[in-house]
Amino acid sequence: MKRLALLLAAGAMALTAGFVTPPSYAADKQITVVTWNIPYYQKGFQQWVDAFKKIHPDYDVKRVDMKGTELPAWYQTQVVAGTPPDILDLQGGIWLQYASQGGLLDLTPYLKKDQDYTKRMYPEVLANWVYKGKNYGAPLYISKTLLFLNRVMMKKAGIDHDPTSFDEMMEDAKKMTGPNTSGFITLNFDWLYWPLFKMNGIDFVTPDLKKAAFNTPKCVALVEKLAKLTKEGVIDKVSWTGRWVEPNSAFAAGNVGMLHAHAPAYLWFKSKASWVNKDTVGAINLPGGWSTPNSHALVISAGSKHPDAAWDFVKIATSGAGAIAFGEQTNNLMGDKIADAELMKYFEKNIPAVIPALKTQLENLDKLTGNWPFAQDAAIKEAFYPELQAALLGQKSAKDALDAAEKKVNRILEAE
Amino acid sequence: MTERAADMAAVRVGAAAARPAFWARRKTRELGLIWLFLLPSLVIFLLYRIIPLVWNVVLSLEFWSPYRPARFAGLYQYQNMLFYDDAFWKVVGNTLIFMASAPVGIAMALGVALLVNQQIKGRGVYRTIVFMSYPVMTVAVGIIWQWLYNEKVGLINYVLISLGITNKGIPFLESFQWALPAVILASLWQVIGFYMIILLTGLQSIPPNLYEAASIDGASARQSFWRITVPLLKPSLFLCFVVGIINSFNAFDLIFVMTGGGPGHATDLLVTYIYSTAFKLGHFDYAAAMTVANFVLFVGLAFVANRLAGGEAGAVKRSA
Repeated sequence: MKRLALLLAAGAMALTAGFVTPPSYAADKQITVVTWNIPYYQKGFQQWVDAFKKIHPDYDVKRVDMKGTELPAWYQTQVVAGTPPDILDLQGGIWLQYASQGGLLDLTPYLKKDQDYTKRMYPEVLANWVYKGKNYGAPLYISKTLLFLNRVMMKKAGIDHDPTSFDEMMEDAKKMTGPNTSGFITLNFDWLYWPLFKMNGIDFVTPDLKKAAFNTPKCVALVEKLAKLTKEGVIDKVSWTGRWVEPNSAFAAGNVGMLHAHAPAYLWFKSKASWVNKDTVGAINLPGGWSTPNSHALVISAGSKHPDAAWDFVKIATSGAGAIAFGEQTNNLMGDKIADAELMKYFEKNIPAVIPALKTQLENLDKLTGNWPFAQDAAIKEAFYPELQAALLGQKSAKDALDAAEKKVNRILEAE
Repeated sequence: MTERAADMAAVRVGAAAARPAFWARRKTRELGLIWLFLLPSLVIFLLYRIIPLVWNVVLSLEFWSPYRPARFAGLYQYQNMLFYDDAFWKVVGNTLIFMASAPVGIAMALGVALLVNQQIKGRGVYRTIVFMSYPVMTVAVGIIWQWLYNEKVGLINYVLISLGITNKGIPFLESFQWALPAVILASLWQVIGFYMIILLTGLQSIPPNLYEAASIDGASARQSFWRITVPLLKPSLFLCFVVGIINSFNAFDLIFVMTGGGPGHATDLLVTYIYSTAFKLGHFDYAAAMTVANFVLFVGLAFVANRLAGGEAGAVKRSA
């Protein structure tokens, strides 16, 4: 009996030891690539690996695909553990936090050295990944906001032309509003709503990025107007509360007149709604041509043990045949101008319905907004948006909300 | 040495010889075995509870980021939390409201348990129906209630409009006033079946002769409830209360799916706010300070709950 008890105790201890044994580390010559929520992208990824192995036959490539909501938490725990992945696909402004703290590799020397590569890229898109004069990202795919129009509802409301100004857009939205319909809806994460402010001449910060510039009578008036339209149901409330699924689902349901979203939204809501086709949904630039980019780029961890090999992989993935493979399989345009010419031909032949939306992605690249290179981008969003949201949903007056937001934003900017 | 002293020394030597060595003693061996069995759990507890807790306290006193060496910050994070972050106080308030909803849920579950404890036809079916919500995944519960609450196509608004209670849909999850009660209701719906089963078990363990005796003595149904049912249900009620409190501290997934903490911070709880501060904003040091506050709050509540339960909750009684 005693012997059995001792054996059991020993077994339990062995199990405990198993818990605390560190995982074995991967082979020395391996690069790890983390992709952002594209588990289906298998064939193209293998093409990248095959091309990479031609120049680095001694390397292995390990791939990890993460959902966008999980990636930041996962990445940061990997950094703390001392095992950051070599290459990471990042979206929006999340990279700024990592770059400003020295977590990402400065790609400027590589871009200077590889001029053939750099010349293929749109300079405006490359500029999106610059923090304090250094470039931290190689553009993977382009995505920026545009206006989708529900032509069925427009026709029913007697609207025969596309809006050309903010006021006209809201007037059209009013005409399409009913007991079960709204005229307008927008995505709100990652500053995607900011073009609505910019087209009304409102700047978020001073040009030197040192102070908040939004708290003006003009902005108070605009927020009051947006709040009123929201209360009346002209702007769907989900605009200010939903994330990705909710606003796009609302538009897919067919009872919202206009959707302000980025291009990847098109194929998403098309997959949810049989009524969507090139005749029923239009895609145009927002009045004034303003848009907020929400593109993806490949970045390299500062802690990568193989930065040169990682850069070679990044080049393969973001330009030439690698970029075309990605664009075709994920239905996106890339940061590579030459690849995009090929991709447009491909889409015209295979998915013509997506062409109007994709065309907007290559236009007005000089009118990007909401892409300020703040080191504390996420904290500034957190300081500003809940106050704005409170005003838009009638919880606070526009003046009080903007005063509070200004104080909070300036406190963060002072600490930058 | 006198004769008596010599005798005493002999007795001592004899006693020492009769007493087994420390490791050979039965009690020592038993104690050693107990510790040996406990060791794996203690190691895991140390690794996954105590060390992170201590490290968390250290982290809360630093400026820390995954990319830079830590710097001592003193009480900066706590100062920031207590005096500059109005969202922190909002989420503490939300957490307390969420917690205060637990007794409401328990009271509702008690009502249901009393009903399905009656000798009524089909009571097994009713019990199953009430319990069915509990095993449903929290994420699914969130999605179901999101649709139910939808302003335009939600069932709840449809019913309210059909009954003439309101003339247009209420934006439950988009409104600062309604969002938290709406999430609490969904949470109660999920957990009420669990409370009901615990309370039903408690009800069925009350000897029926107590009610018979009370009835013979002329006690009314209300008197029987307050004098017999409630006192004898105390252990079950306490268990439900503890589970309810823990649930309110950990109601992360439901909030995450239904509202993401919004609008504003209207539905953020401490746990969701700590998560977004750490992993969305990358402020691990500040999140650590809030975790310490969360821990202190939780320990305080556990202490109060323990005192209310007579001060012996969780105590191991030595058998005779």
